[in-house]
Amino acid sequence: MTNTNTEQSPVLRTRSVVGIAVCVVTAFVGIFLIPTLQEPGGGFNVRFWTMAALELLAMVGVVYFVLNLHEEPR
Amino acid sequence: MASISIEYILYEGMGMDPIALQAGYDLLGDGRPETLWLGIGTLLMLIGTFYFIARGWGVTDKEAREYYSITILIPGIASAAYLSMFFGIGLTEVSVGGEMLDIYYARYADWLFTTPLLLLDLALLAKVDRSTIGTLVGVDALMIVTGLIGALSHTPLARYTWWLFSTIAMIVVLYFLATSLRAATKERSADVQSTFNTLTALVLVLWTAYPILWIVGTEGAGVVGLGIETLLFMALDVTAKVGFGFILLRSRAILGETEAPEPSAGADAQAAD
Repeated sequence: MTNTNTEQSPVLRTRSVVGIAVCVVTAFVGIFLIPTLQEPGGGFNVRFWTMAALELLAMVGVVYFVLNLHEEPR
Repeated sequence: MASISIEYILYEGMGMDPIALQAGYDLLGDGRPETLWLGIGTLLMLIGTFYFIARGWGVTDKEAREYYSITILIPGIASAAYLSMFFGIGLTEVSVGGEMLDIYYARYADWLFTTPLLLLDLALLAKVDRSTIGTLVGVDALMIVTGLIGALSHTPLARYTWWLFSTIAMIVVLYFLATSLRAATKERSADVQSTFNTLTALVLVLWTAYPILWIVGTEGAGVVGLGIETLLFMALDVTAKVGFGFILLRSRAILGETEAPEPSAGADAQAAD
């Protein structure tokens, strides 16, 4: 686990890095979503659970992409 | 209220008429003294985020990268949630027994994203399989979602029932940490075991305080006022996220022996045996 000069750096999966970034943006959007959705209408519970679903989705995405952050050695 | 207010008020929530202590400073002039604590929470989470980013910059080790990715995101999202609560965006009112309660719902959005990631850090330390991680994250999400349902419920009975459900889910998560994950760390190095034990103890103590604060706070019995409740939640959140990350990322388990600033206490004890 130690950083050593002799070890070759593992290769990051671009797809996972992009996935984490998308999940973070989704999580941010979720937090600020409810006031934005107040104009189009819809009950508070619908907006609230939309936010919760976004946060859940973002969290599951981060867990998945972190677990697949590096290319598996062939 | 534009001055520091520490006052006793008669709180009539839930028909219990307890005495509640309100404390804080209304930074925005909108009648919310708790903005002081929300502002401090935002700042501390941001400081934690940037500290972890600076510390992890250029890290090339595979496992260390994973820990840094997770641990940076935790206070990062929490700072956004605190900012939204500071500006009153993450705030709504829920009618409970004919009274309107202020509910900072952004707190739940924060917890739904960050608490599973804290558990993921611990699961990676213990090196458990993916199905174990999935179970742990699933029960944790259930804990937060049922807490959310409780926060939005309109009758005290429903609120307390969902609180109980959420608390049981939390006990399951903590039991899982203290048994299965701890057992899995036995296969790992003394440094990893020491770090895992320290972090698990931190999580056990801090997470147990959340349902207690909820039940005595404004969303529960209303014994504690919103100012004190917000202050205590902020202290718990900062310690559970930034404090957790600080311990994890400075440990030998992550850095390796050559770079760690100081030896882990548990590791030394085991080395001496």
